[in-house]
Amino acid sequence: MVDVKILYSKVIKDQNERPYHFEKRNDSTAIVKAYNPICGDRFELYLSHDGMNIQQVYFHGFGCAISKASTSLLVRAIEGKTMGEAMNICEKFLEFMDKKTAFDLVNLTDEFLAFKTVHDFPERYDCATLSFRELSKFLGSIESK
Amino acid sequence: MALSLQSLKSHFPIFIHRPELVYLDSAATSQKPKVVIASITDFYEKENANIHRGLYEISSKATERYEKVRTKVADFIRAEAPNTVAFTKGTTESINIVAQSFLKRILKAGDNVVISAMEHHANLIPWQQVCAQCNAELRVIPVNKDGDLMLEEVSTLINKNTKLVAVTHISNVLGTINPIEEIISIAHKRNIPILVDGAQSVGHTPIDVQKLNLDFLVFSAHKMFGPLGTGVLYCKKELTSGVHPFNFGGGSIRDVALNHTEFMDYPNNLEAGTANIPGVIGLGVAIDFIQSLDLKEAEDYVSLMTTSFREGLKSIGKIKVMGNPKKSGGIISFNVNDIHPHDVASFLASSSIAVRAGHHCAQPLHKAMDTSASVRASFSIYNTKEDVENTIASLIELKKFWS
Repeated sequence: MVDVKILYSKVIKDQNERPYHFEKRNDSTAIVKAYNPICGDRFELYLSHDGMNIQQVYFHGFGCAISKASTSLLVRAIEGKTMGEAMNICEKFLEFMDKKTAFDLVNLTDEFLAFKTVHDFPERYDCATLSFRELSKFLGSIESK
Repeated sequence: MALSLQSLKSHFPIFIHRPELVYLDSAATSQKPKVVIASITDFYEKENANIHRGLYEISSKATERYEKVRTKVADFIRAEAPNTVAFTKGTTESINIVAQSFLKRILKAGDNVVISAMEHHANLIPWQQVCAQCNAELRVIPVNKDGDLMLEEVSTLINKNTKLVAVTHISNVLGTINPIEEIISIAHKRNIPILVDGAQSVGHTPIDVQKLNLDFLVFSAHKMFGPLGTGVLYCKKELTSGVHPFNFGGGSIRDVALNHTEFMDYPNNLEAGTANIPGVIGLGVAIDFIQSLDLKEAEDYVSLMTTSFREGLKSIGKIKVMGNPKKSGGIISFNVNDIHPHDVASFLASSSIAVRAGHHCAQPLHKAMDTSASVRASFSIYNTKEDVENTIASLIELKKFWS
């Protein structure tokens, strides 16, 4: 059995303890809900965007270390990006988590590599990908409008 | 002679195949003894045939065995007659039957249904939905911070418009054993029928539906050492004529014409389609297994495991146990510091300790207790002192790792 401690790398522990922009906001232009009804993880992503440019992102809610850390990294990564770039980040990360592609160093910073260990803990896949899946659904709905 | 609890693990093949497994998730589903598993294989290998249909030996044998389990279940819960017992897919379906095929026919706008704040979603959503369909009101008995129902509120919640009371016997989160005798008597004073969710209690504590004067009792085979996918609806004899078909199809009819069907009486009117025959047979064997134990002794044993786990949690410190009910069964839910229940469960899983993490299908209860999720450990007769010690040791290690 793979030791569970490798799941909680320094990156994940740090992001869980000191998440980026972890704050409820009421001045956002869009709220993306990332809820997992099975385990009760509930995050809200507060996006401030101008047209297709994402200017600022905050998030708040309740979830495990894996989902909190992955959401924190996601929030930081998409700030200042276009919706298309943010979509790319979601897709590349999800493809990597689905083991469809190798890690994409062009769109993803190397911190995201911390989630490679989730490959050994398939029951935590939903935790790692929750916010990416919900954000990509939201971005997809905007692009198709 | 009663089976010795000390050597019980050997009756459950999963622990032979996985000797390292510390299974603390019996509230989700219990492990199955060898005799139950063998009875299912045996049926398929030696006697597989449909019931109530064929005029040949194995079909009549299957029918006989199936119907004998009905009698066995009736005796087990001390029901007045076998035909008070209907076989269903499980507790959830049994409750849906009472909601849609009994209550919906008498529930009118302005009526109400009383449940409690500690119900599993299965004993909440069916009532919530039938109330919405009939413009009726769902009323909720609150729970205090100890995890006990605030029974003093019941008299103000129940009134002449209450058409049913539905409460759980044992909470699947807090382990609270509710004083169902008292709740039944309050409901009956106003002639209101009551349903008790026995998913966590039947097979773990003796139940006598006649003594309790219970109207409906629902439970699942798989939480009492039986197979998955089989459950029971007990309905008091005098109410059975009010329970109408839930699923329509073959096996439940007396006479069919193209534009009309005459249905059989309860319980056959509920058993349309081919039944889960090996599931029912397995349930019968599970009851035999339970009856080969001294149930009182088994209950005390589980209670001892649970109490020593509760004390172990206290000794670790910074662990918040949900509730401290006056009377409780083999279930404890808790939170460790600020560590999310999923992270706790993953950590324990790496030591082969199986616990549940999340809201355990009881979101409103978690909200009432001011938490989003918890870790749940639930105990059964095959758990040992070592299981408790290993889990406590693993939790201590977890705290070190996260500090």
